[in-house]
Parts: sequence; C-alpha cells; structure tokens
Amino acid sequence: MTRAFQSLAIPATAGIGLRSPHIKEMLSRRPSAGWLEVHAENYMGDGAGVDALEKLRETYPLSVHGVGLSLGSARGVDHDHLQRLRKVCERFQPDLVSEHLAWSVADGAYLNDLLPLRYDEEALAIVARNVETVQDTLKRRVLIENLSAYIAFADSSMNEAEFLAELVERTGCGLLLDVNNVQVSAHNLQYDAEAFIDTLPGDSIGEIHLAGHATNQVGADTVLIDDHGSRVPPVVWTLYQHAISRLGPRPTLIEWDTDVPVLDVLLGEAMWADMLSASIMFNRKQAARQTAAARPRPKPPLVSFENEAGTGMPVLAAFAAAKAGPAMPLALPPIQGEYHAAA
Amino acid sequence: MLPLELLQTSMARSVLAIEPLVAAKMLTAGKADPLARLRIYQNNTRSSLTAVLMAVFPVTVRLVDERFFRFVASEFIRRHPPAESRLARYGAGFPRFLKTIDTLSDMPIVAETARLEWTIAEALDAACLPPRILAEYDSTNLGPSPDILLQPSLRLIVSHWSILSVWTAHQQEAAIDQHSAWTRRPQRVALWRAGDSVRLVLLDRANFAFRHSLKHGLGLEHATGRALALDPAFDLLAALVRLFGDGLVTDVRIPRHPLSN
Repeated sequence: MTRAFQSLAIPATAGIGLRSPHIKEMLSRRPSAGWLEVHAENYMGDGAGVDALEKLRETYPLSVHGVGLSLGSARGVDHDHLQRLRKVCERFQPDLVSEHLAWSVADGAYLNDLLPLRYDEEALAIVARNVETVQDTLKRRVLIENLSAYIAFADSSMNEAEFLAELVERTGCGLLLDVNNVQVSAHNLQYDAEAFIDTLPGDSIGEIHLAGHATNQVGADTVLIDDHGSRVPPVVWTLYQHAISRLGPRPTLIEWDTDVPVLDVLLGEAMWADMLSASIMFNRKQAARQTAAARPRPKPPLVSFENEAGTGMPVLAAFAAAKAGPAMPLALPPIQGEYHAAA
Repeated sequence: MLPLELLQTSMARSVLAIEPLVAAKMLTAGKADPLARLRIYQNNTRSSLTAVLMAVFPVTVRLVDERFFRFVASEFIRRHPPAESRLARYGAGFPRFLKTIDTLSDMPIVAETARLEWTIAEALDAACLPPRILAEYDSTNLGPSPDILLQPSLRLIVSHWSILSVWTAHQQEAAIDQHSAWTRRPQRVALWRAGDSVRLVLLDRANFAFRHSLKHGLGLEHATGRALALDPAFDLLAALVRLFGDGLVTDVRIPRHPLSN
C-alpha cells in the first residue's frame, strides 16, 4: 500500500488547506500553490479522498495537521489513534506534521472541539510526556499549535505562550503559530497579542496559520469565534506582519473550513500572504543597505529601481521607491532563513 | 484544585450537557461571564457533530424534517458522543437510536433508511481495489470451488421496507410524495464504492445469498449451493458475469484448504 514519494520540502511561502470541494479542481488544474495541508483524520480511511491525495502528493509538498490526538488529555494519547496517524504519515510522507496544544477527549468521549488546558506544572508534565510519545512513535519532530480560546482557568500558573516555550525546551518540539488564534484568544481573554508572539521561541516556529474569524455579540460581550469561515481580516494581517517582521518568512497556511469559497479565493489569500511577507523582507533589506551605505557615504533618499530587478519582485522595488524610504529602524536583528519570492 | 483528569472529566460532561456547568470560579474570560463562554464549547460540539450526522444521513433529514432531525441528533450526541476522533466512524449507532424515538415508532422506515445511509457511508470510506476481468482466467484451472474475493467496499443490506426506493426518490431535487414509497416490501440491496460515488442495486434472494456467501469467504461451491436452495433456477454463469461486470471481483484463487461445507 505504501509507495515511495519524492521528498518535497515545504518552502517558506504560502500554502492552502486542501478541502474536499476543491479536490477535483486541484487534480485537473494543478494550480500554483506553494504547498498543501490536510487534516490527518480525513485520510485515515480508504475513501476516494485518499486516492486523490496520493496523486496530489506527487506534485505538492504536504503538511499533515492532526486535530484529534488530544495531546492535553490527562489519560494520555489514544494509542490506536496515534498508530493511525503514523500510518497516514508513512503513506503520504509529509514534510511537516502538527497538532494542537489542547484536549478533546475525556471521560471516554471525543468532543470534536479543542479545549484549553489549565497551564500549570501538572499539565506541562502531561503534555510533554504525550508529545514525546508522539515524536517517538512518528520518529520526527512535530509542531504544536497555539489555541483559540473562549475561557481560561483561574488556577493557571503561567500563560499559554510561557507554557509553549517550556514545552519546546522539554521536548524539542516545534511550534505552529496560528496568528488568527492569537488574535481570537487575545481579544476574548484580554491579553496583548503581540506580546504573546514575542514570548514564543522564534526559532522553533516552523509554520504559521492564517484564517478568518466571526464576531459575535452576546449581551455586552463581544466574542471572536474561530470559525475559519471568511477572509483573513485586517487585524490578523497586521499581526502576521508583526510575526514575519520578527521571524522572517515561514511556511504560511490559509485555513478555511466553513462556508468554503471557490478555490481561487484561497489561492488569492495565499498570494497576499506571499506579497506581504516578501514586502516585509524587501523593506528590511533596503533598510539594511541604507544603514550600511550611510556609514562610508550618504546615499540618495530614493532607491534605484533597476538595482532591485534581481529580487524577482520588481513591483515591490517600485512600490518601495515610490514611498521614498519609510522610516525603518537602523539596527535590525538578523533573520534566519532565505528570502523566498512569491511564485 | 482538581487534578487535571477530574477537571477534564467535569468539563467534558459540562460540554455535553450531561451535568451542570462547572463552577464559574474555576474559569476566567476577561470581563465576560465565563459560564456564557463555556456554552460556546457546548454549541461547537453539538453543532459540529450534528453537521457530521446531517452529512451522513441526508435522506433521513428530509424524511423527518431538519428541525426534528437536529433535535434527535442533539439527544444522540449527548447520550452517545463519539468514542474516537475519527469522525468517519461516528453515526453507526444512530439508526438504532432512531428506533427508540417514540415519535418515530409508527415510521420504522426512517430508521431503516438511516441504516442504508450508514452503510453507504461505510462503503465510501472503504478501499476500491483494481477489478479483475473474466477473460484473465480463461486459461486457468481454478478447480471446482475457487475463492472469489470481492471489493472491500461491498455491503449487502436487507430490509423489510423499500429502503432503496425511498433513498432513490430523494436523490432528485423534485418534490416527492413522502408516503408513496413507504411500502412494506422487502428489499435486498448491494452497494459498493465506485470512485467518489456509490453504486446501489436491488438483488433477488438467490443473488443476494450468492454474494453474501462470497463476501464472507465461503467459496464458490457454498455460494452456489445457497443460491440454488433459494431458487432452483439460479443462473450461476449469469451471476458470475454480472459480478465481474460490476467490477466487484478483485481476485480469484484456488483455496489452500478446501472448505468442507
């Protein structure tokens, strides 16, 4: 049953979540999408979707995203489910595998929702043990995603970002930064979204998620619902900009799970993510050059458009030149990783 | 402070509305009421699992009206939440649960149609192997009773009610007479996955028994004997041609240990 696929590395550009209404079009059009992510649980059977994914895996780099392992369950992860995840990974040979910092199984029931943990030493020991079990079984590092939450526990002794940082330290796992989840939780639980991102160990963040959310008014309470049912809103793009400015380019997924639109809408959102990421990196390069040039001799305020043609993104050079050099910090921390122009 | 396992058990029962909500003092939600926020999780669980059931049982939804289906689904979810996170397996007990609903006691065809829909869902999640053709075995001596292996997705379902007629009537968008097909007439249905859809056919008693025996690995001789016992006019050659023609045969083998049945 297992076949050998060519190893396809996920680039630090945008990809899309593969959803069933798009599979036929993906197979026939093979559009330019940096990479694909699928929910592991949808590919644990032998239905038609599995056949389709095997075909798509030949073309696209793949990320497998679990939603049902319940890494936060005090009783440990379900051995059978972990074995099913292992088989999915063996079958499709993804470049990235991720799960959530959450629990969804207790008292013998699967709740089909991701519930928050009480962030304390007891939970940390449990989650660390569960993550190690998963990494040992899959024989690979997994990325752990921050949660969108509507409640927190009064007895938590640390916040979610501190918990994740400690989890990375103990297990060597990576992180999946869901920027929309940060925005949703920060609004609902009233904390600083940017400070959350800044607390995470940046080198461990191997993937970013972007999505839309709904805004519900319940009495006097305005609550953000993580429904993945709309375009990425401006506030999430702004937070994404903050993250990329700090981290550099990262594989970035457009998630859309309810009221799924036509495929081109997802591809368009992915294009915007690439454009924004490229724009940030371009501006950083410009600022760094200006800083270096300012030392021996002054440079003209406008950047030569022709000089930047080699970046593969001339439109950004033109855009930056037209802006006549926005104020940039003179000392920028180095960013790891290569600059990837949008395809 | 509760140990984490007890806390999660208590939360899970709150989310499933099995027990009253957990104590508000355990939770925080900014300036909002934490118990109101906890109800978001209740709603997420109920609505997402209801959506799963509605996707698996679309004809049942139409038979009983969506609002009633949602009510019944909520009860089913509360009493029988998923035992695992592979939701393709959730709903197996729903047809049986429908039989316990008093309101539906005079409409047994609803639960029977749900049983057919669950069987379709099972088939759609099963493998579809490359089919063999009859000509491949022209020059092969397979002995008197070869094992005929059938598609793993093949399901055989028998009902006292005309479930396939009801199901077929609801595949068209046109308005239908809800009661026209609700007749007490036994139907034997074979169904299997073909690509991303499912094929369903009605079978007579003999052909049903024939395929049933083969599916359970009882060999050609046993299957033929069962079919002939039910219908002395059973046409073995026609049954085999139809089996291959339907793409249901995945292999034919000489049994290592001939069955003694």
